[in-house]
Amino acid sequence: MAESSAEITFKNETVSKLLSSFFKEEKTKVGADAVILMAEMLHVFVQGIQTLTLCCSEAAQRTIKQAEAEDCDRLDIEHFEKILPQLLLDF
Amino acid sequence: MLSTTSCLANVNCREKMPTAMDEEERKLQRLKAAVHYTVGRLCQSIGEDHQKEFSRQVIAAIAETTFRQCDIFAKDLEAFARHAKRSTVSVEDVKLTARRSTALSNFIQRKSEEIASANQEQRDTRKKIAGKRKNKDTEMV
Repeated sequence: MAESSAEITFKNETVSKLLSSFFKEEKTKVGADAVILMAEMLHVFVQGIQTLTLCCSEAAQRTIKQAEAEDCDRLDIEHFEKILPQLLLDF
Repeated sequence: MLSTTSCLANVNCREKMPTAMDEEERKLQRLKAAVHYTVGRLCQSIGEDHQKEFSRQVIAAIAETTFRQCDIFAKDLEAFARHAKRSTVSVEDVKLTARRSTALSNFIQRKSEEIASANQEQRDTRKKIAGKRKNKDTEMV
């Protein structure tokens, strides 16, 4: 699958129905352009969570490696602090 | 959704109005599935970029979170539209939901400008086509 994540989007119809299902009043509708923009919002939202998740797993992995390098059994804040600068640069 | 679960536990409630609840529930399930599908594809794509794999649990969790976030978005959008005395949610309402983050705000602003210019292009194209047709008609007469 060579699809870039920028090309995968939520269908306008799905977004429209999704929002409508949560409205408290029946008469509330969503304009066409607003639907398109909300699809973008959701896209960014999901990408945000994914990046955070990857970031966390990467942080955890590198912290473990750091502790192993120092031959430590416990993962301490020092290990995390050591890997943090590079992690922030990478992300 | 909480009320549906408690209703299922109480058989009497279910017997009173089965169809309306089920239809609502099925609709919600279909929407959840649609969200789950797109989230899954996004996770696969971004996973490939980083040579990592998202587990099914994580994908389900992200899908559920996104679904719930839609509820929050929808309620906010409805409130904003209502505040402006409209019954149709507009682009301005969507921009308001992005107000808390400068980066997000700017991104949504750019996107809304793209949409607006795309609409303008469509209108211009239609005008051109209509104009050409008009000329053809007058020529034939």
